[in-house]
Amino acid sequence: EDDGIPRVRFPPKPEGWKGDPGNPNFRALGTLSPPVMRKIEPAGPHFLAFARRKRHGRTFSEDER
Amino acid sequence: MNEEVDGASPTEGVEQYAIGISFGNSNSSIAHLSADGKAEVIANEEGDRLIPSFLSYVDGEEFHGTQAKSQLVRNSRNTIGYFRDYLGKDFKSIDPTPCHSSAHPQENASTVAFSIQDTESETPNTVSVSEITTRHLRRLKQSASDFSGKAVTSAVIAIPTDASEAQTEALANAAENAQLNVLQFISEPIAALMAYDARGDHKDKLVVVADLGGNRSDIAVVASRGGMYSILATGHDYELGGVTLDQVLVDHFAKEFIKKHKIDPRDNERSLAKLKLEAEAVKKALSLSASATLSVESLAEGFDFRSTINRTRYELLAGKVFQSFTRLIEEAVKKADLDLLDIEEVILSGGTAHTPKIAQNLKSLFSEHTTVFAPSTSPTAINPGFLAATGAAIQASLIQEFEKEDIEQSTHPMVTVTPHIPNAIGIEIEAQEGTSSFEVVIPQDSAVPVRKTKVMQSLSDGEMVLRVCEGQRKIKTTKLEQRSKAETNGEEDSDEDSDVEDEEAVRERIWEAIKPLGEITAKVKKGLKVEVTVNVGADLSISITARELGAKTGVRGNIEKPEVTENGQA
Ligand SMILES: Nc1ncnc2c1ncn2[C@@H]1O[C@H](COP(=O)(O)OP(=O)(O)OP(=O)(O)O)[C@@H](O)[C@H]1O
Ligand SMILES: [Mg+2]
Repeated sequence: EDDGIPRVRFPPKPEGWKGDPGNPNFRALGTLSPPVMRKIEPAGPHFLAFARRKRHGRTFSEDER
Repeated sequence: MNEEVDGASPTEGVEQYAIGISFGNSNSSIAHLSADGKAEVIANEEGDRLIPSFLSYVDGEEFHGTQAKSQLVRNSRNTIGYFRDYLGKDFKSIDPTPCHSSAHPQENASTVAFSIQDTESETPNTVSVSEITTRHLRRLKQSASDFSGKAVTSAVIAIPTDASEAQTEALANAAENAQLNVLQFISEPIAALMAYDARGDHKDKLVVVADLGGNRSDIAVVASRGGMYSILATGHDYELGGVTLDQVLVDHFAKEFIKKHKIDPRDNERSLAKLKLEAEAVKKALSLSASATLSVESLAEGFDFRSTINRTRYELLAGKVFQSFTRLIEEAVKKADLDLLDIEEVILSGGTAHTPKIAQNLKSLFSEHTTVFAPSTSPTAINPGFLAATGAAIQASLIQEFEKEDIEQSTHPMVTVTPHIPNAIGIEIEAQEGTSSFEVVIPQDSAVPVRKTKVMQSLSDGEMVLRVCEGQRKIKTTKLEQRSKAETNGEEDSDEDSDVEDEEAVRERIWEAIKPLGEITAKVKKGLKVEVTVNVGADLSISITARELGAKTGVRGNIEKPEVTENGQA
């Protein structure tokens, strides 16, 4: 059956794995690589929503409200 | 100008009606949103939806479109065409060598103009390219108004990706002189993409838009992310287009004519103009039928001419030109640092995109998973001549109610120039035998902020680690067994001029995790559907959630924004 959902094998949790303080099931390992500045073409409905969010400094979820 | 009309408050009672315009050197189109909300290209009073960008004057009467273009034979001096790319340019920067039968460009106050008899008077007038553009746009606007019965006041115009500020400014001024307010300019390839995406598909994809026109060909490689478009690379050839193909046929037929009559029809201006027009018609016919006949009364020195050519012959004669289109596209993909395998869609736009062989060549250039949208390779292709106007009309409908200031702010680099993540973000998974692979959640070249969710079904059981990483696509080449010498012997026409003739290789895309960002642990049952959401903020901080599909709660984690780098970009 191809429902578009990939079947995947996750690696097992290693012995002695420790989460971040206050978050036993998560640990941060690194930060995002430096971004590249590019221009988004100012066209289409999705861009207009993006521009509205950016101009008003809103996040996705704030925008959805 | 038009202080009252263009001011912040639209005149009461007058319905704002915006259209989309595609304005090419060869053809123009106008489009609007029909009552059912679908963008459609409008026919002018002659019934043409592809309107030649031509004006012609006979005894002071102005002809436009098809009627004007047909004047190229009898009245070439007072017929203007192929002028768009002269707008907003210094005369010194253009190549004024006459290459078309139409009125030749001339220098006027450092800009380009034409000397034409556009009134009943015998003395010609010097008419600037800006004024010609105004007249052309006025006719397009009038056609749209006549069609819809509403007064067209404004438009979105599609322009090439390499249009300079001087050019767009000149075009905006020329439009204003035609009482047409340009709401916005949008890039032609983006307009073409929007015409396709209006069918409801906004999936993330890498797309090549190849706009193959009359005088020029323009390529854009575009990352489409969440319905937003970033151009990764462009390529242009200002000497490659439908006219190049017309020339192949002109030369072919001229040679046939010489064989018969020992006269070269290309030596006479009027004969050449006739031959060009008819060769173009034959070329278009060959896009649909297996053969086409050129028939010209009194081609040169009173001799009529009739000659038939089949498609195979044409494709042979034009083979080199066809290859140039392929090469231009290949180069653009390379310039974008991509592999041909990365391209999911190729959209062929522009009149020359009707040519079956060009589309077929691209079909074999790209992978079998790539859809080539052209009339001859895809049953769902949209007429390539209509794409730019259609996209412009969609944009016009989206912004026609906006205040001028709103549009200006939204299109300003402060908004449009934005950080894009250079690598994909996703989950590292196990492939066979200890090797790892990577499932993309957010593709590379996505603009931030961005939020994406991915569902995966687990094949593993127990306490697992969902490792969020940056990942990169690699091309894996697997050499197939070398074919035996005996087998290859005597095989003269090998596929391509590849260096390693005896080695066949299978190339495929694989994903590799390159940098871990964080880990989530969870107890997972085999068959469980796990939903991972990655949210990258405008400051590049990341929040991640993983939960069972449909569950209310799950594990959350946050990754801090990176330290500012030396160039201050992060
Ligand atoms: N059915 C067809 N088959 C082959 N070529 C076609 C067909 N229809 C139109 N063309 C060619 O397409 C070219 C015009 O393309 P288009 O309408 O996209 O022009 P344009 O964008 O105005 O061109 P440019 O600005 O490059 O001069 C012409 O050379 C024309 O002969
Ligand atoms: Mg064009």
